[in-house]
Amino acid sequence: MNCQEFQAYLHSYVDGELGVDETLGAATHIADCSGCRNLAERERQFRQLLRRQPRESAPAEFRAGILSRVRRSARMAVLRPWLIVPLAAAAVLAVVSVLPYARQSAPLVGELVDKHIAYAQIERPAEFTSSDRFEVEEWFRQRAELRVTVPDYSPSGIRLVGARIDVANERKAAYVLYEKGRTLLSVFMVPASGRDADLGGTRVSYRGHDYLTREWKGYRTVAWSDGRAVFGLVSMLDYEALLQCADRLRAERANQARL
Amino acid sequence: MISWGVGGNRSREFEEVALVHLDALYRSALRLTHNRAEAEDLVQEACLRAFKNFHRFNPGTNCRAWLFTIMRNAFLNRLRRAGRELLGKDSSAAESALERVTASAPARDNPEEEFFQTVLHGDVDRALRSLPLVFREAVILADLEGLNYKEVAQVLDCPIGTVMSRLARGRHLLRQALGQFARERGYSRESG
Repeated sequence: MNCQEFQAYLHSYVDGELGVDETLGAATHIADCSGCRNLAERERQFRQLLRRQPRESAPAEFRAGILSRVRRSARMAVLRPWLIVPLAAAAVLAVVSVLPYARQSAPLVGELVDKHIAYAQIERPAEFTSSDRFEVEEWFRQRAELRVTVPDYSPSGIRLVGARIDVANERKAAYVLYEKGRTLLSVFMVPASGRDADLGGTRVSYRGHDYLTREWKGYRTVAWSDGRAVFGLVSMLDYEALLQCADRLRAERANQARL
Repeated sequence: MISWGVGGNRSREFEEVALVHLDALYRSALRLTHNRAEAEDLVQEACLRAFKNFHRFNPGTNCRAWLFTIMRNAFLNRLRRAGRELLGKDSSAAESALERVTASAPARDNPEEEFFQTVLHGDVDRALRSLPLVFREAVILADLEGLNYKEVAQVLDCPIGTVMSRLARGRHLLRQALGQFARERGYSRESG
């Protein structure tokens, strides 16, 4: 390494950012070259001068303020207007896909409605926030090794909010959250267990498929099983909208299965 | 069925992983804004934003660089809103203007050791203040907060080569300003 080459490396050398070979080359050069050695020494002194600057701390009062804001915002996450106000005013459509669902004694939809209400009350009901369905599908794949179909409801004005991994009876379930205006829609997908889930509700037929509808605690639910998974939609949206969403999810799932 | 404890755990984890960097954020915010109230505002915004997006933070990756990135974005948004010191314009104009200066003035034979001894408390901050933002932020992150090139590149959202050239120029300007202060006090005869 000559002087010119060394000087090109000067900053990286002093910053410790050179690779092993270059570092050795630079060290060998300055062992023999006092001019470059001085340059490096000067750079080092300059770094030290900067590092020696007083390291001011955040004032205690300010730190305490930040802490309390963070904690408050964490608490708010548990008590958020989403559904408190919305019980009357907001409609939320949650599509939840519950994956493995083992114990069928308690009607599944009741549990899904409870989850829907609970999530609607937290500030960020989605663990992963994205309006991109492919991102959400990828997130499920990576996070929980779940292959989940995330339907696109945007033509109906229903926006994808995000997703979370749920646990139903100690098994992973996928939960996808949408909203139409201030109304939430939860879509749950639970892997089916050996026998059919006790979904409960009124049997209706929509576009050639059977669904179970049920109203519970003021929310409408549409549920069905395709043998591999149980699906539940929960929202304040009307049945027509929910059935459309259900049909769409079924169609997209069938489509993906063919791919 | 629903874990109501989640909020509390999350804030505890955030305090442990992220808020340990509060001092570093605060110091840098002061140096970016030159104003205590504005700095506190900025750090608060950055912390709350980070907390809100904490689920996106990948544990095991560099939390400090992640926080600096969030704070920098918040800062740039503020500048944009206020129509001040826009980084885009600032960077290309300042970088090309300095191209000539630094090219013609290699750090050779500067009597720097002399003025290093005479730098007074507050000089470095005063000198930093005279730097265009694009160089100031690189120097703050690398030389005052000790981030490595890769981390600085992550925060500034630019290639490592750009970090290196901004650092070289920023340091050069900083030296010039410090040399100037020293000369004003009559400690140093000349500077580079």
